[in-house]
Amino acid sequence: MLGSRLHSIFPVCYTYARIQELHPLLKRFIVRSTSCNQDNLLTEKSLVGVPESSIYVAQRPSIPLITKREIEFPNRYREPKQAWLESLDTLQDEKLGLVDLHPDIFGTYPRIDILHANILWQRWYKKIDYAFVRSRAEMPGGGRKPRPQKKTGLKRQGSIRSPLWRGGGAAFGPRGPQSFYYMLPMSIRTLGLRVALSVKYAQNDLHIVNSLDIPSDDPKFIEDLIDTRFWGFSALFVDDIDIMPRNISLALKELPQFNLMPVYGLNVYSMLKHETLVLTLAAVEKLEKKLLAQMHKPENDVAYKKRH
Amino acid sequence: MSYIAGITDKALKLIASMPRVALNNLKGLPGSKKTFQRRRGREKGSKHGRGDKGQGARMTLPRLGFEGGQFPFYLRFPKERYYEGHHMKRQYPPLSLLQLQRMIDLGRVNPDEPIDLTTLCNTKLYKCSPEHHHYGVNLTDEGIDIFQAKVNIEVQWTTENVIAAVERNGGVITSRFYDIQSVMALVNPEKFFQRGIPIPKCKLPPEDAIEYYTDPHFRGYLADPEKVAEARLELAQKYGYEVPDFSKDPLYEMLKQKKDPRQIFFGLAPGWVVNLKDRVILKPKAQEWKEYYHS
Repeated sequence: MLGSRLHSIFPVCYTYARIQELHPLLKRFIVRSTSCNQDNLLTEKSLVGVPESSIYVAQRPSIPLITKREIEFPNRYREPKQAWLESLDTLQDEKLGLVDLHPDIFGTYPRIDILHANILWQRWYKKIDYAFVRSRAEMPGGGRKPRPQKKTGLKRQGSIRSPLWRGGGAAFGPRGPQSFYYMLPMSIRTLGLRVALSVKYAQNDLHIVNSLDIPSDDPKFIEDLIDTRFWGFSALFVDDIDIMPRNISLALKELPQFNLMPVYGLNVYSMLKHETLVLTLAAVEKLEKKLLAQMHKPENDVAYKKRH
Repeated sequence: MSYIAGITDKALKLIASMPRVALNNLKGLPGSKKTFQRRRGREKGSKHGRGDKGQGARMTLPRLGFEGGQFPFYLRFPKERYYEGHHMKRQYPPLSLLQLQRMIDLGRVNPDEPIDLTTLCNTKLYKCSPEHHHYGVNLTDEGIDIFQAKVNIEVQWTTENVIAAVERNGGVITSRFYDIQSVMALVNPEKFFQRGIPIPKCKLPPEDAIEYYTDPHFRGYLADPEKVAEARLELAQKYGYEVPDFSKDPLYEMLKQKKDPRQIFFGLAPGWVVNLKDRVILKPKAQEWKEYYHS
């Protein structure tokens, strides 16, 4: 039913060969074939008379309409979550289709305390306190008794470097460098990732795009795009590999609030720091695979633990 | 984290209408952060609530159970392995043949129908509480000489002489195991039906009870019926009575009634839901469920 509704909103035309050209990943998805409707295509003819500023209008002849995505290891008891597949080709938000998301990854219970534990860990584990103050033993001098024990009329003192003296050593001063490194359990870290993704999805801050290819390396285009789509003041773009497309790399070079990140670098802190999270479809694939593997690894099993 | 039906989606729906979860509005669970401050000040702070000098004040108290070097009480006696897991052992509250005969004579139990745990519990004269690991009835031999009734009775534990007493009168006795969920359903069927859940599939006996429930000498419900017939004959010869012929008995239909090993209630199959309000029985239709509840 959703597919038919989509079709009415976004009349499309394409061939299977065309989809393969777009992205090898798209081969995995069930794609609906429809007839070509020339009226809805933005041909060069329709661009005549359009002002220079809106030159970024897409040249793509057709939209592949993805109606379903195959989830690996689906949860028998929960419906998959659904998200629009979008594209960065145009300023306007153009939906390419619907994709299913794994409910165990994008529909976890929103454990704010787990997010909190992750954020604390990310802040603390890398911290090193270099503060250092010398004790009385490390100060120069102070070996001689400053005055006799008795008969001076003053209080008895043994060293000029005593912590009670001005210019003396510190009694319990910082003894840096001190490391605050600790490791959060793997289960809490992976659960944190799943909760962060679920929260982003639930609050409508998660967007899934086919790729990070944009038509122009002009920063204005990506800024306009984010403004047009109300993606907020900051955004994190995540791809599956760390070799990013040329245009988006150049466009975001001078914009510190918009960042690019590969899947292996994705973390709770960055996700919560940015208002919007943009994942490519390939990134979603990789993320789901890795997080599901973590969820269901045999080491989690009590029986396994007892044996080893 | 396991999925609790509805709760997760409800929470996610709630969070959708709330401010964006970000670095500035995170918090741990209440009570997760322990803050202890030693009380100071004139009124409260003199000894900080720890009394005067000594081990109490300096937190150097010896460990719990330490008796000043004397061999402590908790180590003085060896462990009694005999009692290991005794709190988990299966209990069978007894019912004597005398009590059963009395129930029948007073009309509390109808001997013309098969007797099972539900029948006995409905008399309110016999109590079985599964929360105390009661797994059913143990039929004992008190009043064995005056037992006269002809019954088809299902018990959970019994002895040879009791079996002989029942069979001498032309009755039938079966030793039948129920898992604790099934016992809960049997003890108070009305309460169980009000829960609106399907009748469970009865589990097979645990490892240490399999021998008993497959033994024809104890009329185990998992024993070979032919061997049970042989054992009946054997027992009759041992105790010196004749085994009556069932097929000519007017109560033959009643006496041959027997539950399936997976069945809990007479006339109701596992997987069915009994709706007391609308007075209907709902049966599973999906093939998957049928296969699951099939014995």
